[in-house]
Amino acid sequence: MLEPWHLPGLEAVSAGDTSGGAWHSGTTAAGVSFRTPRLDAVSAGKVAESVGRAALRARAERSLEEVIDGVARAAARLVDPAGETGRRTQETLAQGLGWSIPTVAETLRGMAAAWTQQALTGLVSSELGDPACLERFRPDPARADRLRRAIGPPLQLVVHAGNVPGVAVTAVIRGLLVRSGILNKAPADEPALVSRFARCLAEVDELLGRCVGSTWWPADEVPPAWEEWVRRSGKVVVYGGQEAVEGIRRRVPGDKDVVAYGPRLGVGVVLPDAPGGAAAALARDVCAYDQQGCVSPRIVYVIAARADGFADELAEALGRETQRLGVAQPGSGEATAIREARAAWEFGGYRAGGGARTLGHDTDLSWTVLLGDRLGCEAEALLRVIYVYPAPGVAEVIRELEPLSGRIQALGYWGEKFLDELGEGAALLGACRVAPFGSLAWPPADWRHEGRYQLLPLINWTDLELPK
Amino acid sequence: MYPSGDGGRAIAACFEELSQELQQLFRQWAEHAAPWSDEFLSAYALRAFELQFRGNEPLRRYCQARGVRPGLLQGWRDVPPVPTAAFSSIDVIVGGATEASLVFRTSGTSRGPQRRGRHLVRDPGLYRASLRSTFRRHVLAPGIKPDIVTLQPPFATDRDSSLAWMLDDLREGFGGPGSFCAASSAGVDWAALQEGLEAACRAARPVLLLGTTLAFDSWLDRRAAHKGHLRLAVGSRVMDTGGVKGKPAAVRSRVVARLVERLGITAAQIVNEFGMTELLSQRYAAGGSGPGLLYGPPWLRTRALDPATLEELPEGDVGVLCHFDLANIGSACHVLTEDLGRVIGDGVEWLGRSPGAPPRGCSLATAELMAAQDHA
Repeated sequence: MLEPWHLPGLEAVSAGDTSGGAWHSGTTAAGVSFRTPRLDAVSAGKVAESVGRAALRARAERSLEEVIDGVARAAARLVDPAGETGRRTQETLAQGLGWSIPTVAETLRGMAAAWTQQALTGLVSSELGDPACLERFRPDPARADRLRRAIGPPLQLVVHAGNVPGVAVTAVIRGLLVRSGILNKAPADEPALVSRFARCLAEVDELLGRCVGSTWWPADEVPPAWEEWVRRSGKVVVYGGQEAVEGIRRRVPGDKDVVAYGPRLGVGVVLPDAPGGAAAALARDVCAYDQQGCVSPRIVYVIAARADGFADELAEALGRETQRLGVAQPGSGEATAIREARAAWEFGGYRAGGGARTLGHDTDLSWTVLLGDRLGCEAEALLRVIYVYPAPGVAEVIRELEPLSGRIQALGYWGEKFLDELGEGAALLGACRVAPFGSLAWPPADWRHEGRYQLLPLINWTDLELPK
Repeated sequence: MYPSGDGGRAIAACFEELSQELQQLFRQWAEHAAPWSDEFLSAYALRAFELQFRGNEPLRRYCQARGVRPGLLQGWRDVPPVPTAAFSSIDVIVGGATEASLVFRTSGTSRGPQRRGRHLVRDPGLYRASLRSTFRRHVLAPGIKPDIVTLQPPFATDRDSSLAWMLDDLREGFGGPGSFCAASSAGVDWAALQEGLEAACRAARPVLLLGTTLAFDSWLDRRAAHKGHLRLAVGSRVMDTGGVKGKPAAVRSRVVARLVERLGITAAQIVNEFGMTELLSQRYAAGGSGPGLLYGPPWLRTRALDPATLEELPEGDVGVLCHFDLANIGSACHVLTEDLGRVIGDGVEWLGRSPGAPPRGCSLATAELMAAQDHA
């Protein structure tokens, strides 16, 4: 039985710490059973106090440089496949999510590129200019008569989504960088990674490990831990689908700051002069973390070239990529939905008498390419299913995507011709990131997630105006 | 081999010939209930496949894309199953939509109203022959002509509903002189229902009540306030049908228990029907409140398939249900559903609609994203 929790302040969970000694029971995306302690208000309060106290101590006893160093070392330990911790992390995630080991390994490897000392130092510098303002008052570059200091709240509560496991670690790291203690509600789909990261942190720096608390409770419950943790947290950060985000907003008091990351999607464009390699690079983005991220491409437009030829290439590339990664079979619900989507597309094509096609094998749902015969933007969020549409030009693509304004996380491209026009159009659509195929799934540490800075929404600025 | 010359007329003649043969076979089975071997079914299945291959271009292209054409198949299992989504996308009818005598629409509940499928029925006579033959064997008590009371608005007021057509046909075909339809487009006339049943009880005439499980549930809720219970005459029966969302088994158990209590019948006299708009044949579970295995005629075969590979699963394993129905010669005989279930012997346990794809974290279909955008 998996016990995916890390609760500083409750070193030994006893019957007295829980409501009648009961446990919350859950199952992961792949049906692995797990349990977490059902905390009563007193115990939940103890955890929050412990994490908050540790965060305050860390502010006094650890420099930002030491925090970054500790985080980077813990992350390296978490993902190192040669070490016992990394190996067990891969196994736990693979079992919990139903993913293959290579898919997990690639996801962690890709994510970990943003958790290195260099990447994190770059993130802080990129957003704050002067990282030292997270430690003490520093001159304000805008005014000579003012100093400024940035700091996160002593406690943040983060509610995670389970689709891309590494994102949870990234969220915890963001909190640690702004010197907060982080209470986490882990996702049922993958409840273990945050607590495993917290334990790695404790192994490299016991104090930093105590700055993170994590557990899980069912989404339809409002347990005492939720009430206590929301009450004591200065910020509530939430990741998830529309329903989850709206549900959390409703449950958080109006005066509490909520930083939400909701549903978005990725789109791709093959530009007119695109050199070879587009399909292979795009296939890597589609297959990364099983296409479950908000940056994962679901639609690709082929401008002024044969979309059917590209669809064939993409199908081949997806076949190679799924073979390399060794994908898991979809569950019955997902399989049925993929099959129905394929059939609706295929028969729709026959009805219209055009060139719409469905590429994929009836007996293998590892990947699907749905080729349209005219510009469109229909796309279902299904496992490794990508829609290919022909397009006459960049302007037409941007116009087609207008109904999705503000909902596009990443816009991938291949080629250079009209890239300026594409970038401008992407900005008007509110897309957050325009990047070449092959790198869509792996944003750099300092990317603007949902078009926002990552650390700035988590901190409070204090200005010290100097005497005249 | 069917003549391939004068397309429409040749297909019409071939369809008519096969339909007449099958109607005769269906009626014979109602008399004698002799089993059909796989070979016997396959002989007709291959003729039906050839007809559908030649008479419906989208289906032909679907088969050609899989390298399948008449002459290459060994038996009914080899006919490519057509997903129910096809009924939402194309006119699944041999000879084209103009040949349809009836057009039934699915509820479209799982894929939204814009994705409602439709089943175009070329020959109501074939549908009737299958329906009545199976109903006779599985529902009617031998030697009894009951008053049939239906709780579904008549087909004349709901021309999309295959259930309405079916219940009207059964009432007209098998009902005694006191038969009536207790519902209209305004809903069930509860008072008329009560009155009619009381009259049948007084006259000791057996009654056969036909309706959806939910209609019976509503009726029983209304009757809860009444103190008196009806005592239906010997030979009376109830046939309930229709999916129940949420916890189908639990709702049906409750309905059966209350019908037993309120109507003075045994659970064995309550038959559960399973049908789909896309199929013209039905299955029935005889008596009882348990999950009950559904049995049908020998021209309706059902398999549970692995959802990912479409391989046939061993007996008892849960998979996606795939039906082969010879009564569907005018549309598509082999239909792959979105339902989960298992096969045990000749019986089928229906476990409800597949739950669909789980939410993919922060990723949504574009239609949902646009809807959320409009909502914001």
